Amino acid sequence: MKTKQRLFRKPWLGVACFSVAAFFLFAAGPVQAQEPIVLGTLCPLTGAGGPYGPGMEKVVTKVVEEINKNGGIHGRMIKLYHEDSQTNPESAVRAARKLIDVNKVNAIMGTWASAVTMAIAPLCWENKVFDISVSGADAISELKDDDYIFRTQPNSNLQGQVHARFALKSGWKKVAYMAVQTPFAQTFGDAFKAEFEKGGGKITDFVIYEANKASYRSELTKVLATKPDAIELMGYLPDSTVIAKELYKIGYEGRLLGPNYAINQKLVDNVGAEVAEGLYSIDPATNPDSPAHKHLKQLVADADIHAYSTQSYDHINLIALAIAAGKVSSGTGIRNTLRTVSNPPGQEVGGYLEGIKLLSAGKKINFQGASGDCDFDDKGDILSRPFSYYQVQKGKVVTIGRLDK
Amino acid sequence: MFEQFLQFVINGVVSGGILALPATAFSLLYGILNFPNFAISAYITAGAFLFYALNATLHLPFWAALSCAFVLSGFMGVGVDRAVFKPMRGRRHLTLAIASIGLSFIMENIVRFIWGNELRSFDLPVARALKFGAMRVGKEQLLILLTAVGITIIVQALLRGTRLGKAMRAVADNPMLASVKGLDSEQVIRRTSFIGAALAGVSGIMVGVDTIVEPLMGFKLVFSVFAAAILGGIGNAAAAVSGAFCVGLAEEVSLIWIPATYKSAVGFGMIVVVLLLKPSGLFNRQTAR
Repeated sequence: MKTKQRLFRKPWLGVACFSVAAFFLFAAGPVQAQEPIVLGTLCPLTGAGGPYGPGMEKVVTKVVEEINKNGGIHGRMIKLYHEDSQTNPESAVRAARKLIDVNKVNAIMGTWASAVTMAIAPLCWENKVFDISVSGADAISELKDDDYIFRTQPNSNLQGQVHARFALKSGWKKVAYMAVQTPFAQTFGDAFKAEFEKGGGKITDFVIYEANKASYRSELTKVLATKPDAIELMGYLPDSTVIAKELYKIGYEGRLLGPNYAINQKLVDNVGAEVAEGLYSIDPATNPDSPAHKHLKQLVADADIHAYSTQSYDHINLIALAIAAGKVSSGTGIRNTLRTVSNPPGQEVGGYLEGIKLLSAGKKINFQGASGDCDFDDKGDILSRPFSYYQVQKGKVVTIGRLDK
Repeated sequence: MFEQFLQFVINGVVSGGILALPATAFSLLYGILNFPNFAISAYITAGAFLFYALNATLHLPFWAALSCAFVLSGFMGVGVDRAVFKPMRGRRHLTLAIASIGLSFIMENIVRFIWGNELRSFDLPVARALKFGAMRVGKEQLLILLTAVGITIIVQALLRGTRLGKAMRAVADNPMLASVKGLDSEQVIRRTSFIGAALAGVSGIMVGVDTIVEPLMGFKLVFSVFAAAILGGIGNAAAAVSGAFCVGLAEEVSLIWIPATYKSAVGFGMIVVVLLLKPSGLFNRQTAR
């Protein structure tokens, strides 16, 4: 009698216990299967990388739409959160905090500038969030990242060598190196210098200048006093625009080579065809003949397909296939299984839908991407990439050659 | 060798010319309102974008667009003062300075909201520089220098010769006494805000002519402007021009000896040295404020 009365006195306690017990009984089971897989993009929608971010984000969105329309990954839908890195490390860290702490993403895709990737990398590996980017700095390979940080962009060492070989091939004997302050300005320059001097060339000046300055007149005065045939300008779009204009005003007659993410159509539109005439640029090429690239063309408009959005296509497909193969959607799970779907041996596939069919049949796959083979070494770097050469001719950026791996 | 040195000096003078206008505006505003108005970076950006809208979008020729942008920037300055700083008259300097920083963020983002983050250029031809032996001076640079010198002379004449100028100096010196004498300090503040914002706007146009137009352009300049104003003697509009040329010359000529990576450090270094040795500035008398 007494016991019954005591329980009756606090009926809410009984209800509460029952609810908690019910929650734990049911939470572990079927609810798990319906839980969405949460992923995030942190593309440069604004800032120096602004020309490329929107396309990258759109590609990931479209691929996810396709996957969800076809049943998701083992019945689980993918939920995407998008943030803008603003090509600025401070803003990117704030955005990454939001994606990781508030949205609870398992992976972040699409950081573009090396400074941005370097800034958010510790956040990712500390929170066991998988990160894959299009950044090139060598320093990224050296991070003690517990293998959470991958990238599909060739590192700056390789890029420096490719630029140097182009300079040698073009017959330039004296080149001045100018770079904007970035994590890769020094390593790229060292690789460029070593390769160029090995081929008999001479580096006349080695200048690392500050970003966001209103003028670079004196830096250029110093460089031009060394009388180079050509300038290797590793800048971003804003400073490269200013320098291109300055060189024209000064009456510089030599050549100029830079990365295509800075010496692009936007720069040409800003400075005008006459100022931009003859400027060379190089960028990692895409794999236009691959099935992956062809599939990408079906998903988005041609205007959105460029060197970075092709990598975004590869990022989301790799992550989706890794989740499907390992059946674990956490950042750690993705990290553990990614190489099983990206590296040989295995049957070559160009997209998630192709790959899931083979995985479900128990076969091993090797994803070949729209940007390249997407085979990763133990540091999370890609093994090889082709390159494209461009030149500005009559106000348009024109492809003038290609270097296959 | 000497010619190369001279080229650095020319570059420095031009840099100083770009800084002269906003430094004058900054000092003018400090003199009257008694706090460092960091929103000057937003006035610079807004002036450039107003010119962009007039020149590149509406296709007005250079001088017409410049005059319109000058006037529009001035009115913007008056409006901002009335909306933000007037309710805060009499507050502490630090409060107002912080408010001006916040204001600069808001204005910068309004510009971003309307025009986006992309880089833009004005609809003006890029011309080859004039050659003097081995030295180069760009046509835009000459224009910037002439504008800076011209406006400095006009501002000096204004301050010394006109009634408004005298009123501005009176209000700057002792607002209470000035109002006792019958000066409408609010009117003086309004007019000073107009001139300050208009000058800053024109300097933004000069920067845009020389380089590129984007929402961050004012922000990039503001530290050098601050350094120039402090060097000259804050509140002393005439000295601000000298301060600007000193900072410009120091930043450019120093590149002969130090790597380009440390260019910004020169401006900051100068602020530190001046504040340590002669806080009232190089050209100001020691006044107790």
